[in-house]
Amino acid sequence: MSQPTPLFTDEFAEFPLKRALAQVVKRREKGSKVVGVYCSYAPVELIWAMGGVPAVLCAFSNAPIAKAEETLPANLCPLIKSSFGFIELKTCPFFELTDAVAGETTCDGKKKMFELIEQHRPLYVMDLPQCPTNDGAVEYWKHSIAGFKNFLEATFHTTITDSALEESIKESNRKNALVEEIFIFGAEKPAVITWQEMYAVATYAMVSNGSEAIAKLREIIAILTERCDKGIIVSRENAKRVLITGSPVGGDVLKVLKIVDEEGAAIVGLDNCTGLKPYLGKIEEGSGDPLLAIAKRYLKIPCACMTPNTGRTSTLRKQVALLHPDLVLDLVLQSCHTYNVEAAKMESYIRNTLETNYLKVVTDFSTQDLGQLKTRIGAALEMG
Amino acid sequence: MAVPGSSTGVFIKLAGIDIGSRSIEFVLMHGESYDIIERFRAETSIDLAAQLRMIKETYRWDALVSTGYGRLLSQKVLGGETVTEIKAYTTSAHHFYKDIDTVLDLGGQDTKALAINRHNGHLVRFEMNDKCSAGTGKFFEMMAATLSLDLNELVVAALKGNNSFAINSTCTVFAESEVISLLTSGISVEDIARAVHESLLTKLVSLLSKIMRSDTTSLLFVGGGAKNRALVTLLSNALDKKIIVPEYPDFFGAYGAALLSGTYPHRSKEIV
Repeated sequence: MSQPTPLFTDEFAEFPLKRALAQVVKRREKGSKVVGVYCSYAPVELIWAMGGVPAVLCAFSNAPIAKAEETLPANLCPLIKSSFGFIELKTCPFFELTDAVAGETTCDGKKKMFELIEQHRPLYVMDLPQCPTNDGAVEYWKHSIAGFKNFLEATFHTTITDSALEESIKESNRKNALVEEIFIFGAEKPAVITWQEMYAVATYAMVSNGSEAIAKLREIIAILTERCDKGIIVSRENAKRVLITGSPVGGDVLKVLKIVDEEGAAIVGLDNCTGLKPYLGKIEEGSGDPLLAIAKRYLKIPCACMTPNTGRTSTLRKQVALLHPDLVLDLVLQSCHTYNVEAAKMESYIRNTLETNYLKVVTDFSTQDLGQLKTRIGAALEMG
Repeated sequence: MAVPGSSTGVFIKLAGIDIGSRSIEFVLMHGESYDIIERFRAETSIDLAAQLRMIKETYRWDALVSTGYGRLLSQKVLGGETVTEIKAYTTSAHHFYKDIDTVLDLGGQDTKALAINRHNGHLVRFEMNDKCSAGTGKFFEMMAATLSLDLNELVVAALKGNNSFAINSTCTVFAESEVISLLTSGISVEDIARAVHESLLTKLVSLLSKIMRSDTTSLLFVGGGAKNRALVTLLSNALDKKIIVPEYPDFFGAYGAALLSGTYPHRSKEIV
């Protein structure tokens, strides 16, 4: 079997976050303002439209959690603790680069954490309606996004025009479609793309745009097409296939994905916010009301904070039909109540309707549960 | 059932080893009849590798599979392949009890509930306790120590005690402080021992309710915890099911591993 051509040939081969950081630094050096964001609901088109660059501030390292627990309760989501701890220690390279920060009321822990960091940076918290199908939800969300636009304009003494927004929407659509095209390679049997590569693409695309990003993503598609044509595979022939869903992942919680690797299975899809989720769904172009078009698309993101979250099941149905996983692994971060509770519905839907094996694991960024995780994941992969 | 293996009179020896957090069980099995030839049990020591080397020097086998938390270290020392305890229990439960579709394993640091398809022996689903030790054998050990009893004395005390109150803490450490304050308030050791059992029972019932079929009439109880007579009685009453406890419940992981080491018909796993 010939060695697959790497998707990225820069010095960040094993370090997708460092690559993202370098992208942000490069933009900043060219004069772009850096706006920190905490979740997929952040309408990054506004940041791009003003010539800025978004930086994702969600952290996945266990290291700063002890510091965070001096202030925050221990039984909080590790993502919130890690992000906050980094800011307290002033060791989050992304946060240190930011000129302003956007928060979203996605989860209760984050929303209150924002109050504790507001003295560090100009901060705007967007109120996200959580019953997305209720009357007025889209209009209200548009109102929140308009508030964010006003905040950016006032903070950076700039004007974000409708035509700049329209252009930004087109760029996002182009980029997102290419990311989706890359993730579709997950359908190949045996696998031609690894989860590390999918994660690297998702991380890169979040902080990249314009012709550079489009060219890079097209190059990646060409490499993956070549792998298919030449039969270059990245998993064993009959490896069990796993689709990851649930809370965002990265850094130390990649331990779960590494265990799947150790068990000889192939992860063929990342359905979460650090995977494909933020790239799905087109924003209407040339609508005449770009903020409304943006609001409509973002409110369709199938996060467990929404009720009802019907988009989650329809997305999983499509993903399962495309990727043919043997196992859907629902990775829930400790104290992520919405994903944890929603898991009951997901388990029933995935087992009974999609007739696919399902395993939920609740974990944090520590290594304390490696043995248990290995047993659970190993046993789920031994089945069927 | 077709019996695999040779028919020349020279039989192969299958070995299974289950390395748990509290104890090691090792078994040698006849490769054709699957009769048990040898059982060996020891407390898991800090120097697990030395214990494994001792086993390697003492016993001879033709095929071996390791299971339990120490399975990877065991594989390094003893060779062979590895399976999870869940696969091992599923295999041994179906081999020895064909009509069983529900298995409960109460181990030192894990509690597992398994649903098995009784027609083909495949695992349908499983549930495990959360990563804390509240629903495990370790919980009993801690509670017994708090009451200055050994495990047998705790069981005997519980059989005499009344179900008069509940221990509310779900964490072993917090439950310990709760037990201490109960002791200082003059409640009898017997009633506290009973409450300790009731507390664990609640967790076991909750775990089992996630996987148990409505038409299940009996379940197989294995692991070290199945030796606890008080718990078996309480569980049987709580579930209104027959509880089957085999003669050596703590050996079921090792039995399953040994069965999987041979050309056992249910060895469906493509071992990684």
